[in-house]
Amino acid sequence: MVKYLLKRFARSILTLVIIISVVFILLRLMPIEGYFQNYEKLTNEQIQAGIHNMGLDKPVLIQLKDFFIQLLHGDLGTSRIYRANVPITEILASKIPISLQLGGIALVISLIIGLPLGSLMARSKGKFWDKFGTAFIVFVQAVPAAVYFLFIQIFGNEWFGFSMLFSKDNYSTWIMPILSMAIGNTAYYAMWIRRYMVDESNKDYVKLAKAKGVSDNKIMMKHVFRNAFVPMIQYLPTSFLNSIVGSIYVESLYSIPGMGGLLVDVVKRQDNTMVQAIVIVFACVGILGLMLGDLLMTLIDPRISLNKKGGAR
Amino acid sequence: MEKEVALSVKNLNVKFNLRGKILHAIRDISLEVYKGESLAIVGESGSGKSVFTKTFIGLLDKNGWIDSGEILYGDKNLAAFKTEKEWLTIRGKEIAMVLQDPMTSLNPLKTIGAQIGEAIEMHRGLKGAACKAAVLEILQDVGITEPERRYKQYPHEFSGGMRQRVVIAIAVACKPKTLICDEPTTALDVTIQAQILDLLKNLKKKYDLTTIYITHDLGVVANVADRIAVMYAGDIVEYGTSEEVFYDPKHPYTWALLSSLPQLGKKGEDLYSIKGTPPNLFNEIHGDAFAPRNPKALKIDFIERPPLFEVTPTHKVRSWLMDPRAPKVEPPEHIKELRKMGGKATWQ
Repeated sequence: MVKYLLKRFARSILTLVIIISVVFILLRLMPIEGYFQNYEKLTNEQIQAGIHNMGLDKPVLIQLKDFFIQLLHGDLGTSRIYRANVPITEILASKIPISLQLGGIALVISLIIGLPLGSLMARSKGKFWDKFGTAFIVFVQAVPAAVYFLFIQIFGNEWFGFSMLFSKDNYSTWIMPILSMAIGNTAYYAMWIRRYMVDESNKDYVKLAKAKGVSDNKIMMKHVFRNAFVPMIQYLPTSFLNSIVGSIYVESLYSIPGMGGLLVDVVKRQDNTMVQAIVIVFACVGILGLMLGDLLMTLIDPRISLNKKGGAR
Repeated sequence: MEKEVALSVKNLNVKFNLRGKILHAIRDISLEVYKGESLAIVGESGSGKSVFTKTFIGLLDKNGWIDSGEILYGDKNLAAFKTEKEWLTIRGKEIAMVLQDPMTSLNPLKTIGAQIGEAIEMHRGLKGAACKAAVLEILQDVGITEPERRYKQYPHEFSGGMRQRVVIAIAVACKPKTLICDEPTTALDVTIQAQILDLLKNLKKKYDLTTIYITHDLGVVANVADRIAVMYAGDIVEYGTSEEVFYDPKHPYTWALLSSLPQLGKKGEDLYSIKGTPPNLFNEIHGDAFAPRNPKALKIDFIERPPLFEVTPTHKVRSWLMDPRAPKVEPPEHIKELRKMGGKATWQ
């Protein structure tokens, strides 16, 4: 077990190093403007001095080495344009909690609604609730998000008087963005849990459980739901961590100062160091999510045995 | 000697709805199962033997229903059961079932102990340590060594034969009175088959069970059955004690079935096989369902369903050949030889 974890961890680190290197080297190809706030007004000497100060005149591989050393100290560099000369970690630290809170709540809500909805659909397969749920899922998946985001805005604002502007201290302004973010995931979880539950409930062990006298409700809860949920567990950490990345659209809709708009912003304004830092954060999130997912699976599914090769089959 | 009836089926008809078409899977079957006996229902795939027994515990697929008839169990008519609540008084407690494929009939994510314990907890109300003790006892009963260690293991840590033992343990966990074994050894290799059959025989004695075997393997039947019912196209065409059916079969289908056993063939000759295919149960069947495949069929076989003729009080046959007016059709030679062997031949 420990050996597997170490291996898995080492491999993740290796992947991360490769991604960081590639991103770093690619970004060296960007125009030099990306390192100065008001490039046009600077004299040639000033630019040369700046480049020298930032160490950009050194060979790329040396720069890369320096960057990794920085990273090991927890330093993602300094923003040059977006907020000049502010450490990037500081900028991110102010953005991530907001996105994470909103995203985390949205995820929990979508699980709380999506899983029971999907289970209900699986139980009443082909009947009213199944059709109702399918209609909901198809609607959410087929209609562009912008359309139902608009509905949420209109109804939330008209009927309940929720403010269209997000404010950290006024929790009523949290409702609409969270709802907007949760709705897609709700449909997604409902769809998958329904599908897995229908699959599971056709299996022989369900028949045997029935034959031994377990009631349908208990079979659904203790056998079918549990077994159907296992394949979904793998994706939960990724879903959760992805909320750090934030929702670009929802955040811009409600002017939320989160991560969502940040990448677009810094790419537009060509802040090279920021782009680099954010891409690294995204990569970390993805890799960590996959790793945690695998880890959870090994804890939950007894068939995945890490102690001995091959298991006992 | 009058035997006590455990379960009595009267004129049972089961139908299925398959994409709007009606399939008549069980056609007017009447049969009695006696207490403490071991009955084998034989027949080819699709003859309805599984469906027939599934009606006893209400496990028909959703698109199937009992069209008419009665299944009397004690003072209850199982055919009239509608709600799950009624069935829960029967399933596991009174009638239990062993499924065919042990590889898939256990929940892969629960320990063996939990799966057996679930049934015990429900039907016998035992909890915690008492429940565990009962599980360990049953594991021992079905011949699983080191029950303490096995208790905590998952199905994937068991071999096929061991899993079938666990499935059997689940079935007998609540001390049912009747045990239905739906092809209990089909998915296992031959050496394991014998072990499982032995185990079932021992458990039958120990728990005083009435057992119903469903199988297409006549070797299994010879091994375990007191009585045999032969099914063809959703109907029981012949039933009687093992000796009667094996050594003095009367129905042409039973002849054909026995003839296709390799043991009865002669060296150098091709193995016998029944020509044609079973009838399509979507269509209504007139007369004897086996007639189209029977080269010696009588004219009446195509017109009217034969009644049940009594050969002996225990041996009944649904064939016009038994009618006194019928011409004398001799069974094939090797079937007649069986008669001479009478009980001395071994069916393994």
